[in-house]
Amino acid sequence: MKPNFIPILGGAAVMIVAAALLLAAGCSTLKSGTSAPAAGPKAGASASGAQLWAQNCGHCHNIRSPGMYSDAQWEVIMLHMRIRGNLTATEHKEILAFLRSAH
Amino acid sequence: MNTKTIGLAVLAAALTSSVLAQEAGTNSQFITIPREQYLLLKKLADEYPKLAEEMKEMKAFKAQAEVTLKKVAPQQAETDQALDELDKKITDVKKLAKDSAPGTNKFLLTGYGSAGFTAQNRGGDKKFAATFNPIFLWKLSDRLLFEGELEAELEGADTHLALEIAQMSYVLNDYMTFGAGKFLNPANYFVERQHMAWVNKLPDKPLAVYDGLLPESNLGMQLRGALPAGSMKFGYAVYVANAPMLMIDPATVAPSDFGKLEFNNFDNSDHHVAFGGRIGFQPFPELEVGYGMQYADVTPRGVGVNAIHALLQSLDFSYVRDSAVLCGTINLKGQWVWSKVSDFVYDPTSLAGGPYTFSNKREGGYVQLAYRPSRLDNPILKNLEGVVRADMLNQAKTAAGVDERRLTFGLNYWLTPSSVCKVAYALDRQRGSNADPHDTLMIQFATGF
Repeated sequence: MKPNFIPILGGAAVMIVAAALLLAAGCSTLKSGTSAPAAGPKAGASASGAQLWAQNCGHCHNIRSPGMYSDAQWEVIMLHMRIRGNLTATEHKEILAFLRSAH
Repeated sequence: MNTKTIGLAVLAAALTSSVLAQEAGTNSQFITIPREQYLLLKKLADEYPKLAEEMKEMKAFKAQAEVTLKKVAPQQAETDQALDELDKKITDVKKLAKDSAPGTNKFLLTGYGSAGFTAQNRGGDKKFAATFNPIFLWKLSDRLLFEGELEAELEGADTHLALEIAQMSYVLNDYMTFGAGKFLNPANYFVERQHMAWVNKLPDKPLAVYDGLLPESNLGMQLRGALPAGSMKFGYAVYVANAPMLMIDPATVAPSDFGKLEFNNFDNSDHHVAFGGRIGFQPFPELEVGYGMQYADVTPRGVGVNAIHALLQSLDFSYVRDSAVLCGTINLKGQWVWSKVSDFVYDPTSLAGGPYTFSNKREGGYVQLAYRPSRLDNPILKNLEGVVRADMLNQAKTAAGVDERRLTFGLNYWLTPSSVCKVAYALDRQRGSNADPHDTLMIQFATGF
């Protein structure tokens, strides 16, 4: 049987269009200034630990509650994620300070 | 009447007039009150002496108490100070016990696991599966970290245990970290950031990028870090590692696998070294784009041919945004990979039906969109997440002889931020001499801990 790639390519096209619309909607929120947990200051600008936590952690996975681990555990995790996630030294420091203060 | 008699009379008259005058004055202040009030006033008047006596006794008692308190006050202060010190010691002991508890002081056991079911049509697999990936983290100092990850999988009648990661990392400065050991391939964005079962949004992994054209891990050394640049950020990684092994041996390799690269080349059997890396660019926090590559000499030992080289390249992007307009989070990711290996004559002695020659170029990748209405108030809907992914792998012109396209639809329900139930359906279309098209239903529970 001759393979039919049309549904696959069609689905991909629909997805890309949907993505474009979602991106546009996402951009519209930027323009309107709507705040959101994952949004915040520019990457290299001064941002609070909470914002950096939401931006950097949430970029790859759902963010976990600060209360899920103790301060000592967060120290281990944050060193691990600083290396894995290519965090800057400032991001590492401010996120850790936030996690310590949040529980 | 004598003088004495007259004097007494005058005195009597004066007294009489005085009494009468006094009675007249007093009579002007009299008031009339009800009998009940009179009785009440009389009762109070009768009780007054008793109350006065009690007040006197109380004053005496108070004076005695004040004398006693003056004697006790210094002792009380000492007691309060001792209690404060005891409380501080208890707090210190609690903190010490908490920090010293297993898994909380320098060492942390974390990881993830999954359990799932897969059913393919057209006579394909129908099976349950389970995986367990414990991750061991040791923070040996503020700069030194060891991380190890094992993967336990059920394969056939056996439990397969593999060493996924064993890496020692040292933070050299704010911008650079050195690592050595077995580490996830930094050139492969999906593998390094997304492949964990509770992070990956679909039960299976995309074509080409996983178990495909790029290594999942490297055995070698790396330098990596991040560089802030104004409002932007760059991430980088460069590494040297064992080179992959070109699969050429007709005695051990199926003809369809000729020309593929064996990345788990822990013995480095051909004595070559690969080098590669990735640079990622974040123009703003929600977006990251990256380019990764690996280059290696993969010339087989003992084969008198010109040098064979393998160039692997990857382009990736990731956009994640929490949008109030969309009432949730959109997550768009994609990666495209190219693999180019120099020409080679496989099975020249016809042990496996050769000789085979082909252009050893392969490419593939995926694009994936996920949306979760996390801002809705409904506790059910806010935890649902829809996912759609298109992925492909083009290698029909190689010995593999097949091009593959997939479109996968998934629906996830997040039980916790790191526990998810996934249901997905994949349409798999293939063409080429070894095509095996099928559809697949997948169910998976995954959790990170």
